Amino acid sequence: MPRFLVKRLGLAVLSVWGVATLVFLMSQLIPGDAARIAAGRTATAAQVEQARERLGLDLPVAEQYVHYLGGLLRGDLGWSASTKQPVAIDLQVVLPVTLQLVALTMVLTVLVAVPLGVLAALRHGRAADGATRLVAILGGGIPVFWLALMLQWGLASRLGWAPISGANGFGLAPPVVTGATVVDSLLAGRPDMAADSLWHLLLPALALSAPFMAVVVRNVRSTMLGVLGTDYIAFAVAKGVPQHRLVLRHALPAAAGSTLTILGMQLGWMLGAALLVESVFAMPGLGTYLHQAIVNQDTFAVLGGVLVTGTVFVVAGLVVDLLQIGIDPRVRASHQIGAA
Amino acid sequence: MSALLEVRELTVQVRRPGGPVLVEGVSFDIAAGERLALVGESGSGKSTVAKALVQLDPTVTVRGSVRCDGVELVGASGRALRRVRGSQVSMIFQDPMTALNPVRRIVDQVAEPLLIRGVPRREAHARAVEMLDRLGVPRAAERARAFPSEFSGGMRQRVVMATALVGGPRLLVADEPTTALDVRVQEQVLDLIEEQSRELDLAVLFITHDLGTVAGLADRVAVMRSGRVVEERPVDDLFAAPDHPYTRGLLASVPRIDADPDRRLVTVADHLALEEAGHA
Amino acid sequence: MTSLPQLTTDPAARPSPPPPERPVPPGRAVAAATRPAAIGSGLARAARALAGPRAGALDAVAFVLVAVLVVAVVAGPWLAPHDPYRADPTAALLPPGGSYLLGTDDAGRDILSRLLVGARTTLLAATGVVVLSTLVGVLVAAVAAAGPRWLDETLLRVVDVFLAFPSIVLALGIAAALGPSLTSVVVAMVVAMWPATARLVRSVMRETMSSQYVEAARLTGMSSPRVVARHVLPNSLDSVYVQLGLDVSGAIVLIAGLAFLGVGAPPPSADWGSMVAQGREYVTTAWWVALFPGLAITLAAVAFGLLGDALRARLDPTVVAP
Repeated sequence: MPRFLVKRLGLAVLSVWGVATLVFLMSQLIPGDAARIAAGRTATAAQVEQARERLGLDLPVAEQYVHYLGGLLRGDLGWSASTKQPVAIDLQVVLPVTLQLVALTMVLTVLVAVPLGVLAALRHGRAADGATRLVAILGGGIPVFWLALMLQWGLASRLGWAPISGANGFGLAPPVVTGATVVDSLLAGRPDMAADSLWHLLLPALALSAPFMAVVVRNVRSTMLGVLGTDYIAFAVAKGVPQHRLVLRHALPAAAGSTLTILGMQLGWMLGAALLVESVFAMPGLGTYLHQAIVNQDTFAVLGGVLVTGTVFVVAGLVVDLLQIGIDPRVRASHQIGAA
Repeated sequence: MSALLEVRELTVQVRRPGGPVLVEGVSFDIAAGERLALVGESGSGKSTVAKALVQLDPTVTVRGSVRCDGVELVGASGRALRRVRGSQVSMIFQDPMTALNPVRRIVDQVAEPLLIRGVPRREAHARAVEMLDRLGVPRAAERARAFPSEFSGGMRQRVVMATALVGGPRLLVADEPTTALDVRVQEQVLDLIEEQSRELDLAVLFITHDLGTVAGLADRVAVMRSGRVVEERPVDDLFAAPDHPYTRGLLASVPRIDADPDRRLVTVADHLALEEAGHA
Repeated sequence: MTSLPQLTTDPAARPSPPPPERPVPPGRAVAAATRPAAIGSGLARAARALAGPRAGALDAVAFVLVAVLVVAVVAGPWLAPHDPYRADPTAALLPPGGSYLLGTDDAGRDILSRLLVGARTTLLAATGVVVLSTLVGVLVAAVAAAGPRWLDETLLRVVDVFLAFPSIVLALGIAAALGPSLTSVVVAMVVAMWPATARLVRSVMRETMSSQYVEAARLTGMSSPRVVARHVLPNSLDSVYVQLGLDVSGAIVLIAGLAFLGVGAPPPSADWGSMVAQGREYVTTAWWVALFPGLAITLAAVAFGLLGDALRARLDPTVVAP
């Protein structure tokens, strides 16, 4: 395997370790007796001591840390006090729901924001550019949870254009395989269910995408403006290349790398904002799970959720970096020099 | 017989109310196969003239007349201009390191003037490779599939030239093509331009601030100062007996290897002052 | 070729050279030539930049909005037409109009009054968080820049780990761990926001450090910490000022979001996020309870965002305005 790939994977592993350590530190911060919390509010003193022993909380911190890491490698994220199940199992159920929402939102954002940003750059200084910037600024300021609420009220409740909440219409829920309704529908060979699932995801995705569309539009616009000012674009114009070809085959490919980086960065924040949107639309995803866990003071569940979020982020960053190597020859070249 | 390129009263002004005039009343002709050098200091307007020929700069207004092979280019539609660019009139710029799109393959970029005119892909690529080979790019066929980052400066300038020449233009506008290169490579590129010009009956408008590069390559020289052409002569005449004091100043400012090392170098301003005072 | 004109030594024929200067000690010359903007004058420059000409329409809007917000924060409680905390069940869920300009909530409290009072909570908390997190971030960045290489690398890795979490998740976890109170929210948010500032400032510093005046300062024998403190830091702060506006904008939304989820100042606090949460149940019947607080959040966030943009356009004209 090429050296840079090894380095990059190693970095990812290191990052995940860092994430896990930070989560462990957070667990040590919690005031109060962790054993009591784990045993539940109605536990007797004996049960609390039992819990303490079982969870290894009577051991020194360093040993706890080692146990913790060992547990992680085995896939053990602790036990949820509220659902009475291993946290890992809980997360397996809720994570796909959130990932599905985020994926859909990402697609929506790319399909809308990238062309808008390109358009704004091409019409730099004119009305369409100003209007796009204005919309971008507004999008950046609107709180997602409020937008979600307003969309729910306005489009769903008042106008009936979309479902208010829920994942599927009556009788259209696909058999659960992954937990992501669209995927499960397709796996079951029911495109009508998939369409219905997408329909139910529309409003949440729309609400979630607002702030990110704002960022992406701005970024694509300024990247494109930078690209359009380069010598190689000027040279292409001097060759007689017409505008549509100039944009599609000269400018966009050059801007792709930068755009990909931005999108990758958005992914992490999107996970966070999804939390709020899920809450409004009552979706059974990671966000709702985390929220419930916090309300119930279900420590392990909270920490497990946070850990998984951080890990997803690290993995996303890795994927973006690898994609960059695929699409940008300059990045490829620099890595080869590095490995030489 | 009318010349290939006829420029009359070319005036270029920044496209803004009260915008400064960059070039005024410039007129010159270039015959087919002829090589004209446009020289001047930085800011004299020579690059502006070059870009104005095919209306490359959207931030300026161009007035006057530029006729290429009888076709008027000033005020021509975008479509008409695009037809001319790359096929009748090609342009190459100063910095080869930034002239090529870093994310596209060399062969795609070189073949493009043909591809956009409907030449089938295979043939366009073949002609591109052939042009690269003719310009001295070693192992052209396999190296053409590479990306610009894998090429050196001198090689990139050859690629740029190949792109400019592949469409079979009648006029090549070269805007300071050697300035960013080191001396040895400069010479190679200049030789290439001259060789292609002779082989392909290609007219060249060569823009530079370096008089040295002009001497071997140009047939005629036009001197620009502050947006105007002050003198235009066949090259040998210009160097032997320049008419205009500015031209004399330019020539005088060229450091000579046989000059007295203790003497201060002469600037154009110095020389003009001297002439005024009657000392030159 | 023409022969070169012979230059005479006649002083009338050419301008006289400037008189030779007295030799200046190199250190002082360098210091004089490289005197950078101090933090104070940097802020003054930023303020002047804001007030300068070339104010476009958007910037005017930003100023107006921020001014309104400042007024609300300062004079909120006195401007409120009703008592924001007095519950009056008989006046519950009244639509906008009459003496209740923006309507009342489920406990009969005037929404406009609560918004005015809530401005304090939300905006002061947001500003406080940003000031603190910026200080921490700049400090860490400066230490990383001034210290030995290994410290720089380690701090950078730590920052990266923090940045691996979406801010809301991190803030949520910490705030939940520390218990429900305004303090814990502030602490949680500072912890969530300082890494981004640190990373930004560090990369600006890296660029500044490779510029020539810093090299010159180094060559005079100045030690690393002094170089950072006197040269690098002041010149890197431009990006911080720009970021302040955007950070406050983000903090406002983040605080509101946390409050919406129930993590924040406990009721009957009038902060905007909680107000939206309260309005959630009644959104189909009494839409105004949720609408106006959210609008307030949006306007405040947009105002500070525009402010940040305006600063960016002034202070760094080389960057294409986003």
